[in-house]
Amino acid sequence: MTAPADAPTVEAASSPAVSRGTARAVTATWWYTVVALVLFELTVVLVWAATLLQAGLDRGVVLAVLVGGLVWILSTAPLLRAYRHGGGDATALDWRSTLVPLVVATAYGVTVWSLSGLWVLLILPLAQSLQLLHWPRFVRARMVLAVTALLAGVLVVDVATAFSEPPLSAHEDPYVAGVFSVLLPLTTVLSLWWWDVLMVLDRARVSEARLAATQERLAVATDVHDLQGHHLQVIALQLELAERLLPDDRDAALHQLRAARLSVDEARQGTRDLATRFRTVPLPDELANARDLLRAAGLTVEAVIDVDADTAPASVFGPVIRETTTNVLRHGGGRRARLALTRLDDEWRYEISNDVPAPLPPATAPSPGDAGAPPERTRQGTGLEGTATRAGDVGGSMEVRAAENDFTVIVTVPAEAAAGGPR
Amino acid sequence: MSIDTTSDVAAPGSSRPIRVLLADDEAMIRSALAALLRLEGDIEVIAECSDGEQAVAAAERLHPDICLLDLEMPGLDGVQVAERLRRTVTARCVVVTRHARPGVLRRALAAGVAGFLPKSRDAKEVAAVIRRVAAGARYVDPEIAADALSDERCPLTDRERDVLRVGRQGQTTAQIARELSLAPGTVRNHVSAVLAKLSVPTRQQAVLMALERGWI
Repeated sequence: MTAPADAPTVEAASSPAVSRGTARAVTATWWYTVVALVLFELTVVLVWAATLLQAGLDRGVVLAVLVGGLVWILSTAPLLRAYRHGGGDATALDWRSTLVPLVVATAYGVTVWSLSGLWVLLILPLAQSLQLLHWPRFVRARMVLAVTALLAGVLVVDVATAFSEPPLSAHEDPYVAGVFSVLLPLTTVLSLWWWDVLMVLDRARVSEARLAATQERLAVATDVHDLQGHHLQVIALQLELAERLLPDDRDAALHQLRAARLSVDEARQGTRDLATRFRTVPLPDELANARDLLRAAGLTVEAVIDVDADTAPASVFGPVIRETTTNVLRHGGGRRARLALTRLDDEWRYEISNDVPAPLPPATAPSPGDAGAPPERTRQGTGLEGTATRAGDVGGSMEVRAAENDFTVIVTVPAEAAAGGPR
Repeated sequence: MSIDTTSDVAAPGSSRPIRVLLADDEAMIRSALAALLRLEGDIEVIAECSDGEQAVAAAERLHPDICLLDLEMPGLDGVQVAERLRRTVTARCVVVTRHARPGVLRRALAAGVAGFLPKSRDAKEVAAVIRRVAAGARYVDPEIAADALSDERCPLTDRERDVLRVGRQGQTTAQIARELSLAPGTVRNHVSAVLAKLSVPTRQQAVLMALERGWI
């Protein structure tokens, strides 16, 4: 048997809670990226508006640059959204979320160009919006270099033409706005590249967790193989012996046959133990499952589960919940049941009651001629006596109240047992 | 009820035998179990069926007292057979399974199945359960119940499960939205929430996972 220390590996691989935590971190990183990109765009628009205002252009023109700039920044939102959800998925290219923002960017460029005569403003919005599409890596690298070179070239032209004539020549320094504009696509691509790297890392983390789970499964498979191989060999020998003994000593042969059936049973139980080795769920989940099962069985169920129920001693209450729920399920006639796991000062109290007076005897009650049947194995260590022992071991107690129309089992365990007991 | 019951649970040799229908697609197991049950004096195996459809037809024709149904059968599974029979005949159903998948006990109880036990129980124990169920009691094997109690809880909301259930045949987002009277954007939001919760990359994988764990 593998040491229990191995269990957390598998838990981590399959636990939705853990993946939810990292999913939240990934989402936070995405919003960080988006906010940074939008702020870059906003800065460029504001710097241009300030530059044009200082140069003494008509206020209407400056206002058009500002308002148009805001519309354009808004239009990049669908592109960013598509970027996030379309990662690695080619089908996400939707014309509405792609074409419309590109048209808006072009329109904004044409408008501010016609108002200011600056070529760099004609190209910049579309150049920036194009960076937000999901390009293959080599296309993106070449495109951003080409666009940056183009913007730099156009800026030089603008400085030589528009900025040397009135009214823009009144503004002595066109370079702040210019440099911001030239660098915007490059900054954007670097941010998105950083996001892509993070996504690759996240996928690697998921694969690693899956790999760990797979390795654990392989180990279990090996254990199952060994266990069954051993038992099959034992059974084969017992059957062979029975076959040899049969002509001369019928009683001894019969004895071997029974032994073979016991071996089958052991093999089955061993396989089951291996398969269910990691199947532990938190107590609140177990109680919720119990409630759902009883409801499915047609009972009206009232369940009270303490908010801190996952800190209750699972090693005691787990088997108790299993045993008592099974008992209630077995009674055909019940109409209602009540389940409660609550904390009272310094003890935990589990109570289950239903409207059937007393549990029926086990189905496997011995009947005449039963000598050959294997001994009771499923109820070994369980049952209400087992429950009482288990509670007693940790200083708790069990109480059974059987009234006319009410059967109640109450198990109380001191709270400190939770700290020491194995979970 | 057509069953003639005595007040006690096990009543071997009482007035008339319990008439049992047996359905299992594995012929060896079916015939061996039938032969072993016939050795019990108070049980009469009146039909042996190799799939769910046959079992439904035979049960409607022969009106057995108990239907002993394998869970894993081609076509209709044991629980589906029980669901069908519940509307037409008075027979009580006992389902046996080799491996109880998550959620199956809940489904069986909701379908009115009166007994549920693993296939590993020997014929004597099966016979005892048949007697018990015939006497009007219910029997859920402790092992099956323990498994069902340790099922992983579904992390999805009801709406998210609806989205997966409606879209399980690969329907488009628009079709799911129309079926549930939601906006396509809302459906997309539910889907991305589901993918994040289950940490799978596609909706198909989410559907498979949810089916496997009995969540939809």
